[in-house]
Order: sequence, then structure tokens, then C-alpha cells
Amino acid sequence: MTMKPEDVLRAIAEARGEAIVVPTMTTSPAWRGIAPDDLSINCVGFMGGASSLGLGLALARPERRVVVLDGDGSILMQLGTLATIAGAGPRNFTHFLFKNGVYHTSGSQRVPGAGKLDFVMLAKGAGYVNAYYFDDLEEFRIKLPELLTEEGPIMVELRTSQADQTPMTAPGGVPFPKQVTDLQAKLSAQ
Amino acid sequence: MPESIPAPLIIETLRQTFREARARLAAERPGGATPEYLGWILSVPDTHQKSVLAALEDVPEIKVLTCATEDEANAIAAGLYIGGEPCLLMIQHAGLYASVNTLRGVAIDGQIPIFAMIGLLSREKDKDLHESRSSMVRYVEPLLDTFGVPHARLEGPEDLHLIPEYYRLSRERRGPAAVLVGLETS
Repeated sequence: MTMKPEDVLRAIAEARGEAIVVPTMTTSPAWRGIAPDDLSINCVGFMGGASSLGLGLALARPERRVVVLDGDGSILMQLGTLATIAGAGPRNFTHFLFKNGVYHTSGSQRVPGAGKLDFVMLAKGAGYVNAYYFDDLEEFRIKLPELLTEEGPIMVELRTSQADQTPMTAPGGVPFPKQVTDLQAKLSAQ
Repeated sequence: MPESIPAPLIIETLRQTFREARARLAAERPGGATPEYLGWILSVPDTHQKSVLAALEDVPEIKVLTCATEDEANAIAAGLYIGGEPCLLMIQHAGLYASVNTLRGVAIDGQIPIFAMIGLLSREKDKDLHESRSSMVRYVEPLLDTFGVPHARLEGPEDLHLIPEYYRLSRERRGPAAVLVGLETS
């Protein structure tokens, strides 16, 4: 069983509260439409960096939840980040990992180890406080409030189908430098 | 001739750099909370600066986060910057080469201020960088020039003023800036 990524993103948007959200790659176009706010910053242009960007935010703003919307292909580019995150130990860090088994943006080539990779085990082995997986939307919805408040860092592997759009089929959005200044202004005002 | 710089001098300069950065942030954001520490060093261990990294273990007001890669260090620096925290990178030249795409994406295209202290492992005391037998030493400045990254050489204690200067420069231009640590620190 798999979930539609857009349904998962809508559930996260409804539950996130004041959390900062860091989407990347195929979650980015949908997230732009679902949560056009605000406290989000897209990781585009340095693939694999979303969780590190989120870690920096979580360390700088320990009072606020930071939610990373990562992908399996993305994190494989910087898998060592799991150890760095676990070592830093941000209590306010929720790492959602959308696992569709392919590099959707570049033409849906299979990721290395597709079908064998277990990010729950990888995260636990790296030292995350906890790690879960979901392939059922309703079960995910029920658990979601807890995933956004429990002590981190936690990893949540989300077994999904491919998104409707990718950054290649739906380019655009606010340029990264503008997102930075907008987010800084919002954080300063709160 | 270049000279080795003692770790205590570098650490005192880092304290001053972070104090100045905190003061600037406080002026920009009056009423904001002031943490107990001064700032962050994101390190991927560097043989050349190992005496500084060792001495930093006894400096609680400066937080050191060891990263698995320099790519991570650049992206974490972006998050810290956006969240309002002073930080800098301590890496070696090989790490610069390894993380060029992230440097481009985050610091150049993303316009994130990132200041890095880059150790020049294998730099010969009696040779200019451009004449080094080590390609890792020889290509650092041309690479930084190609990407338009301002840089300066730390060739001895009299050059320590370049650390706060290039840190400020990275903030002012909203991009990368670097100093090159010429000889292994003592």
C-alpha cells in the first residue's frame, strides 16, 4: 500500500501549527500550493541539503518545531547527515522522508537499493530518538500530532506514490534569497 | 615567510568575531533572547587546524558541531544564518573541492553569507601557494577566484584581523568569503 504524497502534505499542513517546514524536490511544487504562506523554505539547488538546512534552523530556533520534507533520492546524496543530525540531537526536529523509490524529477530512475532500503533502520542505527514508517493515510493522520511534538530527532518514512508534479514540470515559486529574507522577517516578528 | 599561528590567538579572535556578530544581531533584533554561547563552528575535521579544534573543547561559549561532510556544513550554516545564529566553517582544502556545488547553490546562488577558514594541508613553508607541489594547495586560490569568492591568506599572527574582516564581508555581500590558513596551527 502507498499514499499519495499530496494527501500526506495536506495532512501535514493542517497539523503543523507554527512549525518551520523545509520541503525539497518533488514535495516542493505541491507544498507551494498547499501551504503558500510563510514559514517554509524550499531546498532547491543543493540536492540532499534539506535535512542539513533544517538542522541549522532547529539549532537556531530550539523553541520551534522544524519539519523536513525529504525524499529518498535526496537523502541518499548526503546519507551521513543522519549521523550529524543524531549527534546534534535537536529535540524539535521531525524528518519526514517521502519514499517513492525513484528519482522522480530526473525521469523516475530507480534509486540505489530501491525496494531494499529501510530508512527506519538507518535512522535508528544513526542514533535518532525514534523512527516510524507509514503506508496508510488514516494511520498517519492519527499519529501525526504526536510526530510533530515528540522529542526529536525523529524519522518518519512515508511510503508514497509519485507526486503529480516535480520541480521540472512545475518550476517557479519564490526565489530562494527572497524566501530567506521573508522567513527571517517572520521569525524576527514572532 | 609564513608563521604558524597559536590556537589561543585564533580562539580569542573567534570570540571577538562572534561577539561583534552577536552585537550586530542584537541591534537588528532588539528584545531578542541572548543565548549563553557566542556562536557556532561547523567543522569537518582538518589536520591543519587540529590544535584549534582540540582547544575549542575547553571553550564552552563556542559550540562546535562536527559534520560528516562539508556539503552538510554549508547547508547547516544556511539554517543557522536564517535562524539568526553566528557561525563559521572550519574545513580543509579537500573539503572545499568536495563541496563546490553546495557552495555554489547555497552561498552564491542562494545568497547566504558563509565564512570559511580553510586549512592548506601540505603547504610548503618556503613556497608560494601557486608553486606548491600539492595540487590541493595550488588550486585553492584559482578555484575561489573562478567562483568569485573573496579570500585572504592567514600567514601569521599579524593576519588574524582578517578573520573578523572576512566574516563581516560575507555578511555584507551575502555570499561566501574565506581565509586560508597557511601553516598548521600550533
